[in-house]
Amino acid sequence: MKGITIAALGAFGILVVLVLLLPQQTKHQLQGALFQLITPVLRTGASVQQELGGVRGGLKRLDELERENQKLKFDNEQLRASNSLLKNLESEVNRLNRALGFREQSAFKLLPAHILSRESATWWNFCTIDRGTKNGVATDMAVVTEDGVFGKITTVAKDVAVVLLISDESLRVSVSIEGTQEQGIVSGTRASSNYVPDLKIRFLSKTANLKPGMMVLTAGSGGVFPSGLVVGSIKDFFVKELEGVASVTPAVDLASVQDVFVVVGQK
Amino acid sequence: MILFFLALLALIFGSFVFQLFLPPILLLHGTAILFVPAVYFYGCLCLPFPLTLALTFFTGMFNDLLMIPQPRSHSDFPTGISILIYLAPGLVMHGLRPLFLRHRWETHCLLAETGAILSPFILLAQYAMLSFERREIFFSDVIVWRIVGPGLISLLIAPCVFFILTPLSHALGYRPGLPFAR
Repeated sequence: MKGITIAALGAFGILVVLVLLLPQQTKHQLQGALFQLITPVLRTGASVQQELGGVRGGLKRLDELERENQKLKFDNEQLRASNSLLKNLESEVNRLNRALGFREQSAFKLLPAHILSRESATWWNFCTIDRGTKNGVATDMAVVTEDGVFGKITTVAKDVAVVLLISDESLRVSVSIEGTQEQGIVSGTRASSNYVPDLKIRFLSKTANLKPGMMVLTAGSGGVFPSGLVVGSIKDFFVKELEGVASVTPAVDLASVQDVFVVVGQK
Repeated sequence: MILFFLALLALIFGSFVFQLFLPPILLLHGTAILFVPAVYFYGCLCLPFPLTLALTFFTGMFNDLLMIPQPRSHSDFPTGISILIYLAPGLVMHGLRPLFLRHRWETHCLLAETGAILSPFILLAQYAMLSFERREIFFSDVIVWRIVGPGLISLLIAPCVFFILTPLSHALGYRPGLPFAR
C-alpha cells in the first residue's frame, strides 16, 4: 500500500510539473478545445435561461402592465420626435463624413453574436459568445455593442469564443478623454461591489481637469480597439502622488447585454 | 470504486459548467455560488489516496481551463496552479477520512461543514496568487465578502451534496468501510 502511495505521489508531482511547464499557447488551445466540447451545453443552457427569463417577464400583474403601457405610449411619442430629428442629423453627419473622408476610416465589419454564458468567477470577468473560428473570429478581436466597448476575445474555438470584459482588471485599453489632450490606460477593478462595475483610468496628468460626465474614448493605440469607440463617462477624478486617476462608469451595461458585435475587420 | 470516481469527475465537470450559468449574488457583494468544492471534498473523504490525487489533478485543471481566461500570450494565473491550491484543503479533508468511514450522519454533517469552512481557502489562495502576479495587494469589505461569502453559502450547500453523494456511491457499488451489499 505504501508503495502505491509513493508511486501515486510521484506520478502526481510529475504531472503537475508537466502541466505548469506547458507553453501558454498549448494551454490556450486546451481551453479552446474544452469550450468547444461544452458548446452544446452552453447553447442549451443559454436558451433555457432565455426561456426562463421570458416566463418570468410574462408573469406581470395587470396594474404593472397598465403602467408599462402608459410609459411605452409616452416613450413612443418621444421617440417619434427624436427620430425625425435624428433623421435630419443622420443625413447631415453622412454628408459631413463623406466630405471629410472619415466614413471609410470609422466603418468596421461587425459580426453579431449572442452571449451564451456569463462567467461568475470571483476574480475574473468574462463570458462566452456563440461565434468562433468558423465565423472568422480570432483572438484579440474587439467586441463592442451599440453603446460602446464590451471586451476582447481571449480564447476562440470552432463555434464559441471567450470574451474578456472591459471590467476585468487584466484588460487594459489606451483611452483619451473627449475634448482634452489627456490620454491614459483604462482597466477594470479586481472586485467591484456595485451593480455597475467601476473602471479606472491611470497615468493621467496630475493637472488634468476632468469633470464628471466627460466621455472616455478608445485612443486606438495597441492594435485591438479602433480609435473613437466609447468606453464610458468620467465619474470622478483624483490626484495621486505621481499621476491623475479617474473612475469611469462603463457605457455598456455589462450585466444585462445579450447581443454584441465582434469587430472582424474594416469595411 | 473506479465507477464512482468517474461519476465524481463527471459531477465536478458538470458543476463547473453549471456554475457558468449562476450569476453572482449582488446583495452579498458579488459572492459566487460554488458547488465544486463540496463535491471535491466529498471525493477526498471517500476515495483512497491515489484517487484523491487524481481527483485533485482533474479538479484543478477543469478550474483553470473553465473558470479563468487563458490568453494566447501571457496569463497572470497559469494553468495548473489550481491543482496545488485544491491539494492543500483536499489533503486536510483526506486526513479526516477515518471519521468519514464511521458512517454516522452527524459526522458526515460535521465533515460537510468542515469542507465548507475550507472553501474560502481556495479563493484566498487565488487572490494571493493574483495579487502577487499583478504586484498590487489590497483588502476591502468586497474582497473579504468574495472570499468568505462562498464559504457561508457552502455551509448550506455542502450537507445536501454529501447526503446526495452517499446514496450515489452506494448505488454505484462503492461502500468504503462498509460490508459489501448482497
